[in-house]
Amino acid sequence: MVTFIIRRLVGTIFLLIVVSMITFAIFFLIPRLAGQNTYQLAAQYVGRNPTRPAVLAVERQLGLADPLYLQYGRFLRGILFGAHYRSGPDVTYCPPPCFGYSFRSQLPVWPQMISDVPVTLSLAIGASILWLIGGVSIGVLSALRKGTLFDRFSMGIALAGVSLPVFFTGLISLELFSYKWPLFPNVQYVPITSNPVEWARNLVLPWIVLAFLYAALYARLTRAGMLETMSEDYIRTARAKGLPERKVIVKHGLRAALTPIVTIFGMDLGLLLGGAIITEVTFSLHGLGLFTVQAVNNQDLPEILGVTMLAAFFIVIANLVVDIFYAVVDPRVRF
Amino acid sequence: MRRRRTFGLAAAGAAAALMLAACSSGGSSSSGGNGSGSGSGSSAAYNAGVTSVVNPSTHKGGTLTFDWRAAPDSFDPGNTYYAADWDFARFYSTALMTFKNCPGTCGKTLVPALATAPGVASNNGLTWTYHIKSGVKYEDGSTVTSKDVKYAVERTFDRGVLPNGPNYFANLLGGNAAKYPGPYKDKAKDKMGLTAIDTPDATTVVFHLKAPFSDMDYLLTIPQSAPVPPAKDTGASYQTHIVSTGPYKFQSYQLNKTAVLVPNPQWNASMFPTVSQLPSKIVVNLNMNPNDVDNRLLAGDAQVDFAGTGVQAAARAKILANPNLKSHADDPVTGFGWFFYIDSQVAPFTNLACRQAVEYAANHLTLQNAYGGPVAGGDIGSTVMPPTVAGYQKFDLYEATTKTQGDPAKAKQMLQACGKPNGFSTGLAYRSDRPTETQGAQALQQSLSAVGIKLTLHGYPSSTYFSNFAGVPKYMSSHGIGLAMGGWGADWPDGYGFLSQLVSGPSIVPAGNTNIGMLNDPVVNNLFTKAAGITDEAQRNAIWGQIDHQVMKDAVIVPIVYAKALIYRPPTLSNVYFNQAYQLNNYAVEGVTG
Repeated sequence: MVTFIIRRLVGTIFLLIVVSMITFAIFFLIPRLAGQNTYQLAAQYVGRNPTRPAVLAVERQLGLADPLYLQYGRFLRGILFGAHYRSGPDVTYCPPPCFGYSFRSQLPVWPQMISDVPVTLSLAIGASILWLIGGVSIGVLSALRKGTLFDRFSMGIALAGVSLPVFFTGLISLELFSYKWPLFPNVQYVPITSNPVEWARNLVLPWIVLAFLYAALYARLTRAGMLETMSEDYIRTARAKGLPERKVIVKHGLRAALTPIVTIFGMDLGLLLGGAIITEVTFSLHGLGLFTVQAVNNQDLPEILGVTMLAAFFIVIANLVVDIFYAVVDPRVRF
Repeated sequence: MRRRRTFGLAAAGAAAALMLAACSSGGSSSSGGNGSGSGSGSSAAYNAGVTSVVNPSTHKGGTLTFDWRAAPDSFDPGNTYYAADWDFARFYSTALMTFKNCPGTCGKTLVPALATAPGVASNNGLTWTYHIKSGVKYEDGSTVTSKDVKYAVERTFDRGVLPNGPNYFANLLGGNAAKYPGPYKDKAKDKMGLTAIDTPDATTVVFHLKAPFSDMDYLLTIPQSAPVPPAKDTGASYQTHIVSTGPYKFQSYQLNKTAVLVPNPQWNASMFPTVSQLPSKIVVNLNMNPNDVDNRLLAGDAQVDFAGTGVQAAARAKILANPNLKSHADDPVTGFGWFFYIDSQVAPFTNLACRQAVEYAANHLTLQNAYGGPVAGGDIGSTVMPPTVAGYQKFDLYEATTKTQGDPAKAKQMLQACGKPNGFSTGLAYRSDRPTETQGAQALQQSLSAVGIKLTLHGYPSSTYFSNFAGVPKYMSSHGIGLAMGGWGADWPDGYGFLSQLVSGPSIVPAGNTNIGMLNDPVVNNLFTKAAGITDEAQRNAIWGQIDHQVMKDAVIVPIVYAKALIYRPPTLSNVYFNQAYQLNNYAVEGVTG
C-alpha cells in the first residue's frame, strides 16, 4: 500500500509537470506560432493609448521578451523556491509555490489564488455532502421501489436536475429565497472562522443549487447500479441464507453499487475544488471559479496558468484518494 | 479615454434573467424599492437626478454599499483609467483640481481641490503655477507638501510598474520628461529628478510644458495629480496600502473582492467642500454578478452600482414597468458615445465619397435598437461629441436624425462618385463578447447590404481588441477591415478630453491605436494646436465644434448613439445626482438615510 501511494505521488508530480508544460505552451507558445509578437502581448497590459516606451517597459517588467524556455524555467523555479519581483521601490517576495506575477493586478498570483481556496472548499465540500447523501439515498430507494410512484417522481425530478443549468436554478433560487421571500437575504461569503452560523446561512442556497445538479446525476447512477447489483446471484444467495433484508441491501447491494459512485465522486469533487465556476459567478462568491473567469476575461496568463495547475493538482489528488478508497469499498481491489 | 468595463459574463445569465423578469412582473413591487419606496421626499421622480439633487440630506452614519460587476484596474490614484474609479477616488485622494458640486451643466465647472485656485499660466503658456492648501494632512497626520504632488506625477512615468493610467504628463511636460524613467529608477538622491516640475516651496508646484496646453486645469482633475508620500509609496502594491488625503481611508482591501473605507479623522471638511463624509462606512463589493447587483439595489442590500452604466435588461424591464421603481431611476445622456470608425487607410475608404456612402447608408434606427433602444442605448447621434461635452455644436451633415433609416439614394450617389456603383466588400471589426456591439455589427451589415456594401464580420475579444486587432493599423489594412465598432468617453468634459485621442493625427500609434479612422487631417491637427494656445474657454469651445464638423466632413466616424443609462437610485441613497464631468453620479457627496 505504501509503495503504491509513493508510486502514485511520483506519478502525480510527473503529471503536474506535463500539465504545466502543456498549459504554458498553450498560452505562451501558440500565440507566438500564430504570429503574435511579445510587443503585442505586452500592449494589452498597458491600459489605453500605449506608447512604445510604455509597452517596452511592460514587456521588460513581465519578462515577455525572454526565450520561452527561460520563462518556463522561471515559472518552475518560482513554484519550487519562490521568486522576487520588482514592484517599484520594493522587491516583492513571492514564497513557494509561487505561480508567477499577475500581468493585470501587478501582484504575485499565489496569495490571490490561495485566498480564494476557502470559498471554493466551503462550497464544494458542503454541496458534495448534500448531493452524496441525497443522491445515493434517493437512488437506493428508487431502485428498491422500482416502478412505484416514488421511483417515477424522484427520477423525474432527477431528470430535471440534470437538465437545468446552475445559472438558471441559481438565479431562480436567489429571486425566490433571497429577494421575494428573503429567507436567505444578502447572500455573501462569510468565513467560517469569523461566524460559522453566517457561513452556513450564506452558503445554503449555493449548496442546494449545486447539489441539486449533482444529486440528480448520482440518484440515477445509484439506481442503475443498485438495480444491476440486486439482480445478481449472490444477492439471491444472501437472501436464501436468511440474512436480514437491510443487511442484504446495505452490505451486499449498496457496497458493490458504490464503486462507480466513488470513482465519479472523486472526479467531481476534484473538478469542483478547481472552481465551481457558474455557481460562484451566479452567487458572486469569490472562489477559484470566479478567479478563473476574471483571469480569462483579463487574459492574465500567469493567473490562468496558476489556476489550471491548482485545478490539476486537486484532480490528481482526488483520483489518488479514490484509488486508495477503492480498497475499503471493494475487497476485491488490492494493491 | 476612461474605460467603462462591460463584464463578459453578463450575457451568461441573460436568458435566465429575462425569464426571471417575466416571472416577477405583474406589479409585485414588494421586492423593490426597499419596501414602500416612498421615503425619498418630494423630489423623487423619473429623471429627477439628471437636473436636481435627489433626497438632499446631511444625515451622518450608516453604511454606503457599492456593488461592482467588475473590479478596478487599480485603486491606486496614479494607476487607474476607469471612469468610475476616478469618481470614487475622490473619497480617498485629492487631486489639485476638481468639479463643482451641482447637477446639470454646472457640474462641469472647474474648482480647486488641493489647489487654492486654478492654475496661473505664464504669458507663453508654457508654465503653469499652482499653490496647494496649507495644513492638509494625510491619514497618518503628516502634512501634504508640493513635493508629494511632484512625486505623484513622477511615479506615473514608470509604466513598467504602473501601466494603467493615462500618459498625459509624459506627453505634455517639458524638461527631461521625454527620458525620465520614474522615481524608482531615478538617480537623484531625493528621487525628484523630473525637471519639468519645480517645487520652490512647500506649497507651490510649477509645471513646465513643452508646448502650450490650455486644458491644464482639466488635466489636473485626474487622480494622477493627487499627492503620494514618497516614504509610503510601495509601487505596484501601493494599491493595497493607499495613504488617504480624502474624507475616507481604507480599513481593508481584499484585492478584487471587497474594500472597506472608514472616515479619515485627519480630513478637514472646511477645506474641501466638493466632497463629504456622511456614511460611517463605505463597502465596495467587487466582481459581482451583474443581475445580482441590480437585485441587491432593488432590495436595498446595496445603494450604488459602482460601474454606473445602468441596470441590466431584466431589472430595466422591472423598473420601467413599475411607476414606483421608475420614480427612483434616472436615464441621463452619459457623455459616452457609441459609433463605428471608417478606416481612411483601407481601400476603398481612401476615397472620401466611399466613406460618405457608408454615412448615408447606415440605418440609425436599427443601430439604436441594437444598442438597447432610446432608454438603455441612447439618442441617435449625428456628431462625434455628445451634447454633454463642452464645445458640442448641434449639426447633422448626413441627416442621421431626420432620415433615421438611412438614405439609400444618397448612398448610391456617393458610391457612383467613388467609382463603386455596385458597392464593394470590406470587413467590420467588433467586440464579440459585447452583446450590444454584436447586434450593432449585424444591424450595420444588414443596412449596408441594401446599397451593395457587403460586410464580413470579424469578432474579437474586448481585452485584445485595441492591442492586437482594431487598434493595430497594419492588422486592419492587411486583413481588409475597413470598419470597426467603438465607443468613447471623455477624460474631462471638453472637446480636447473627448476628441484628442480619437481624431488627432499624432495620436495614431502602431498598437493600441484609438484613432482607428486613421485621420491625419492637417485642418484638424492645426485646430488642436490652435486651441492648446487659447486660454479663453469660449474661444476654445468654438474650436472643438469646428473640429467635430471637420471630422464629420472627413467621414471617418459614423455616430450611432449618445449613450444613455438607466440608473437606479434606492430611496435610502441621499444627495444623488448625475454629474456630467464624471459621466456618472457624483459618488463623493452621497450618503444613506434611514
